[in-house]
Amino acid sequence: MLLIFQILFSLFSLTAIAAVIHRKHENLLGIRGALFWIVFWVAADSVVWWPHGATLLANQVGIGRGSDFVVYIALALIFFVLFRLHIKIESMNRDITQIVRQEALDTQKDIVKH
Amino acid sequence: MFLALVPAWNEERRVGETVRQLLLHTDCVVVIDDGSKDHTVERATDAGAIVLSHKLNRGQGAALETGHAYAREINADLILHFDADGQFSVDDIAPAKKFFEARHADILFGSRYLLPTDTVPWQKRQFVHPIAKLIDRLFGAVQLSDVHNGFRLFNRQALNLIHITQDRMAHATEIPALVKHHNLHYVEFPVQVRYDEYGQNARAGFTILKDLFLAPFIK
Repeated sequence: MLLIFQILFSLFSLTAIAAVIHRKHENLLGIRGALFWIVFWVAADSVVWWPHGATLLANQVGIGRGSDFVVYIALALIFFVLFRLHIKIESMNRDITQIVRQEALDTQKDIVKH
Repeated sequence: MFLALVPAWNEERRVGETVRQLLLHTDCVVVIDDGSKDHTVERATDAGAIVLSHKLNRGQGAALETGHAYAREINADLILHFDADGQFSVDDIAPAKKFFEARHADILFGSRYLLPTDTVPWQKRQFVHPIAKLIDRLFGAVQLSDVHNGFRLFNRQALNLIHITQDRMAHATEIPALVKHHNLHYVEFPVQVRYDEYGQNARAGFTILKDLFLAPFIK
């Protein structure tokens, strides 16, 4: 049963890595982003194929089970990505405000001219 | 020139009267329509205001900064922040201006808490206001008796130094923080505030906190 999961997960991660490489070639992803995602998927594959490795790592940092360790890391990553997304959205919001503001001021100038 | 800046969002019922009243006390009224879906623009224009229209709703802080940008362009000497919803009384403008000029201040903040009679609902006085005060202190604002009061006067120096980057309600903390940062001379003055259904709920409070927390990370 585990083998089916391992094979399916590996296929999925290979597809994800192929997509990352494709996006890098299309210049939609920077070198740092591409490396991060490749390392991420390789690490995920390692844990899936060698669960004991995660336990060894977990024990190194004082966590009992490997799966707990993986969950903690995943949660921390998700929070970090969410934070980055928030920043990005707020930054875009400010850009939109600048455009809306400039348009409002320009329209007023046009009204005064005519 | 003494300019009143009135941010307005879907205020067709009250903006006309507010503009007419303001024109009796200021040289010019600028309504910043923040993407209203009703007849705010028509009512404000008919009442004699200059209207700057945001095509999209961007929030009160964004609307005020648009007003600031306009005021800088026309070299206004003095500006007044005033709500469109009739919360404030125009009767406070002349005495506030007199006090502001006598004290040679750069910025004046209106305060409900300096009034001789207590008109503030107890929930606000006991719960909302102490939390808001603490937040202001955490984010480096000057200490005010009334932290989220929208009645303000700016002279030209304050207008040129204070650029609001907080689009939503967190500008009410950002402004006193910038006053401290630029070492501007500020005063407080008692003003009336009429309470209807207005005010910030808990969710809005969390949004303010989130905006203030994220601000240093935004380029």
